[in-house]
Amino acid sequence: MTDAVAPAIPTRAVPVSPGRTPWKHEAIGFAIALLVLALLPLFIGDTYSRHVLIMVFIYAVVASNWDLSLGYGGVFNFGHLALFGIGVYAYSLLTKLVGLDPWLALFAGGVIATVAAVLVTIPILRLKGIYIILVTFGFAQLVMQIVISQSAITGGTQGLVRVPGLYWFDHNMIRDGKFAYFYIALGLLVASTIFLRVFVRSRLGAGVVALRDNEEYAISRGMSLVRQRMITLAASAFFTGMAGAFYAAYQRNASVDVFGMSLATIILSMVLLGGASTIYGAIIASFVLTVFGEAMADFGAWRPMITALLIIVVMLVYPSGLVGMIRAGWGAIAVRMKRTA
Amino acid sequence: MSSAFADIAFGGLFQGSLYAMMAVGLALVWTTIGVFNFSHGVLMMLGAYVAWQLIEIGLPAWAAFPLAIVAMGGVGWLLQASVVRPLIGRPNIVLVVVITTLAAGSLIENGALTVWGPRSKQLPSLIAGNTTIGGVGVSLHQIAIIVITPVILGALWLFLNRTRLGLAMRAVAQNEDASHLVGLNVTALYGLAFGIAASLAGLAGIFIGGYRFMSPVMGSDPLLKALIVVVFGGISSVSGPIFAAYLIGFFEAACNYYFGLYWTPTLLFAVLILILMVRPEGIFASRSRGLA
Repeated sequence: MTDAVAPAIPTRAVPVSPGRTPWKHEAIGFAIALLVLALLPLFIGDTYSRHVLIMVFIYAVVASNWDLSLGYGGVFNFGHLALFGIGVYAYSLLTKLVGLDPWLALFAGGVIATVAAVLVTIPILRLKGIYIILVTFGFAQLVMQIVISQSAITGGTQGLVRVPGLYWFDHNMIRDGKFAYFYIALGLLVASTIFLRVFVRSRLGAGVVALRDNEEYAISRGMSLVRQRMITLAASAFFTGMAGAFYAAYQRNASVDVFGMSLATIILSMVLLGGASTIYGAIIASFVLTVFGEAMADFGAWRPMITALLIIVVMLVYPSGLVGMIRAGWGAIAVRMKRTA
Repeated sequence: MSSAFADIAFGGLFQGSLYAMMAVGLALVWTTIGVFNFSHGVLMMLGAYVAWQLIEIGLPAWAAFPLAIVAMGGVGWLLQASVVRPLIGRPNIVLVVVITTLAAGSLIENGALTVWGPRSKQLPSLIAGNTTIGGVGVSLHQIAIIVITPVILGALWLFLNRTRLGLAMRAVAQNEDASHLVGLNVTALYGLAFGIAASLAGLAGIFIGGYRFMSPVMGSDPLLKALIVVVFGGISSVSGPIFAAYLIGFFEAACNYYFGLYWTPTLLFAVLILILMVRPEGIFASRSRGLA
């Protein structure tokens, strides 16, 4: 502590280390959850509820990918939402000005965000902990300022409207009660989650965690900090950018609000409330926070206050977030079952 | 030309004073406790509103302002006791405190919105009236800010370097374990650091509320600026951010003058990123963490 420039961010070994849960168990749980989600539109007919679920899926993709760089990587990347915003604007500009096919533009959103993530990695390679916050945050502000100042192309603070949506053969995307968008969003979340879980369970993911937990030792064992950090950020960017592109396609517009502090705060609370370094935690928290927020729509100004209070209480009692809470609850049930048996 | 110089000099001094006032509280909390207080901007807003409320119930400004600053000290201590202290010693404290202070900030911000409403309010100036210096029209309120800020910062420096309590705080910042061993009340010192930081934030709120309209969301922009100042100046000391605050103030004033308001934020961030690439520990940082 005496001669450290900044206190190193001490992190305890992650509860979910690669290979802890047998992958078969995880795959079964994943399949069940997927089945439940895929059948939801059959029971939920109204457009509004489906809209809420689509937003949950988008937030879940962004939050769980942030968990990869922030939770697993230990990189304080505060420019994550800029990657989302880059996806939004890449899609909007490519479809609207270039006339690219929306599906190709959706993919391009992910690719461009990945390239941006690699570019932002370069200045932070030498930096540690809290300093990364400033550079990544500065990167986000820089992107926002460029979007605002190039108003002839990007629409500036006015944003872009009438962005082309996605299509599915001759299916009418607008009058189907958001049926098609629901499944596209779900598909995006599933693809992203499988990618993230495979990544963090792989040797590569183990290396990322090793560098976070004990940088000096990991480097001395031959791990390249530069390469791993770049891979981590690039990997967390692709689906984030695609989620941004999908968001633009779904909302049919693009605005600089996506770079704002309020959205970043919401997504960050999802990552941390869910429990960092779990991937699933961020997804669960996206669901809880979004649905909880919608359920309290009548409370007006009290709504954000109740949400804030809830976050504080959960973080104080269960610092490892909702996943920690679920684990503790599951543990208690298991003990009781053993006792009765 | 002389007008351009006066414009930049005055603008830089004024913005620099505000940034310094905001940043020093943030730096104080970071250096002693090792966490970033993301509710610092909200505390600034609350300070302005508390002062406004005290004046509204009939107190004169000379009594309301100090009272509000003292009250903010209490709020800061309370905040520290509720959302920071229980987490001390936890391994991932930096991240968790980010979210608890953000949430506490959201709680206070929305509370202020409920209590005081969204309508803009304004505080009385510290000194009423206007004057002209070097061909630039300025208000006496701004002059007062430029004069008071260095005095307060100087007093803080004296406190940290010349008093027993201040030295104890620096000791905690330098080595927490050793401070425990020599019998310092580390918990109380943490509370004190947070309280002083909140008081300084409250003062900044009174400064800003006196020349601009106040709203419950007025704290978010100054918080971001303070964050930049602190990291740019080097988070290992309290004096680094103060110099950085004035430097950034002058830089912004010059950019505003020569390139226009539009390009200033872009240029600022571009320069900051470049500088951090060359000097990752901030421009004024020494290698060790401590309150100097």
